[in-house]
Amino acid sequence: MVANSSDEKKGLDSYLKMPLVGGAVIGFAAALIQALLFAAGGPQAYGFCVACHSRDLINYVYNSLTGSNLFLAPFSANAVAAGTLPVLTIIGVLVGAIAAAALYKEFRVKKGDAKSYLAYGIGGILFMIFALCMGACPYRLALRIGYGDLVAVFGLIAIIIGIFIGIKIALKRMEA
Amino acid sequence: MIDGFLIPKETAVLLVPIATIILGLVIGWFGQRSGFCSIGGIRDYLLFRQTRLLKGYVALIISAFAFYLIFSLLVPAAIPSFLWCLQDGQLLTAIGGAPAVSVAGVIVLMIIGGIFVGLIGTLLGGCPLRQLVMTSEGNLKSLVFVVGMLAGAVIFTALVSPWIIEVFKAIGL
Repeated sequence: MVANSSDEKKGLDSYLKMPLVGGAVIGFAAALIQALLFAAGGPQAYGFCVACHSRDLINYVYNSLTGSNLFLAPFSANAVAAGTLPVLTIIGVLVGAIAAAALYKEFRVKKGDAKSYLAYGIGGILFMIFALCMGACPYRLALRIGYGDLVAVFGLIAIIIGIFIGIKIALKRMEA
Repeated sequence: MIDGFLIPKETAVLLVPIATIILGLVIGWFGQRSGFCSIGGIRDYLLFRQTRLLKGYVALIISAFAFYLIFSLLVPAAIPSFLWCLQDGQLLTAIGGAPAVSVAGVIVLMIIGGIFVGLIGTLLGGCPLRQLVMTSEGNLKSLVFVVGMLAGAVIFTALVSPWIIEVFKAIGL
């Protein structure tokens, strides 16, 4: 019995380890959230976005602390106006990944040097600014393309060009 | 069914934090187990012709299309303007674009934003979901990236976004 249940667990985990399954589940879950909760507010194709959902959460915190009135998407703004909280997707992702990493003993502290922290800090700031220029991270971009937004296809092509440039730079650095 | 919605507005707004935190937990778990990464998928394909991660991103687009289609038939009010490009005879209009910016302006923002999103994501080892998951796995560099993202969001909303609208107005986009 014990062996059986551990086999089952392994079987399920082998599916969870397939990005193909994860992608299909994210697409389904994002569409389901809109189907259930669109009355709370738009925009469309807003079920999952790391950039926009982080923006809603941090702007809510910033507004609460400073009394300012930074923008939140209607989906979050209406929830806040009703006395509850904005989207908490990002907290969910962090906690879900910590739980999985702990259960499978894959949690390991990895430190960097001061130079790398500086690069990642500035990189994070710039990444978010450019992602919000697009109104999407690569995830909401995928949702928007699935929704039939052709403008989002320009974003995907641009991301591919950016990745291509990034690879060239990385390869050149390795040669040097 | 109220106004064609499954859940009326007064209840839906209360469910926003709960529904999204559950969604996040599921995606976080999947992301940790699979190493899911959108930018990594395209990078691995361009570099090594590996399709493992890329399949995930393609599956996301197809799955989103399929389920938006299904839900648009079941709950039409909740999936308005599905197949966006076929609305109002305008092939190119953007979902959720700032009303002050024209479609041409949105496309310019898409191209500039996209290039840097792809570039930064490639140089620093992953898309924003991957950075969140690596943070949860104990990677302190990713933690710094995530803190930077949060700071970037406030900077964008407070400073960059109004500036872009000003500039675009001045050059007629």
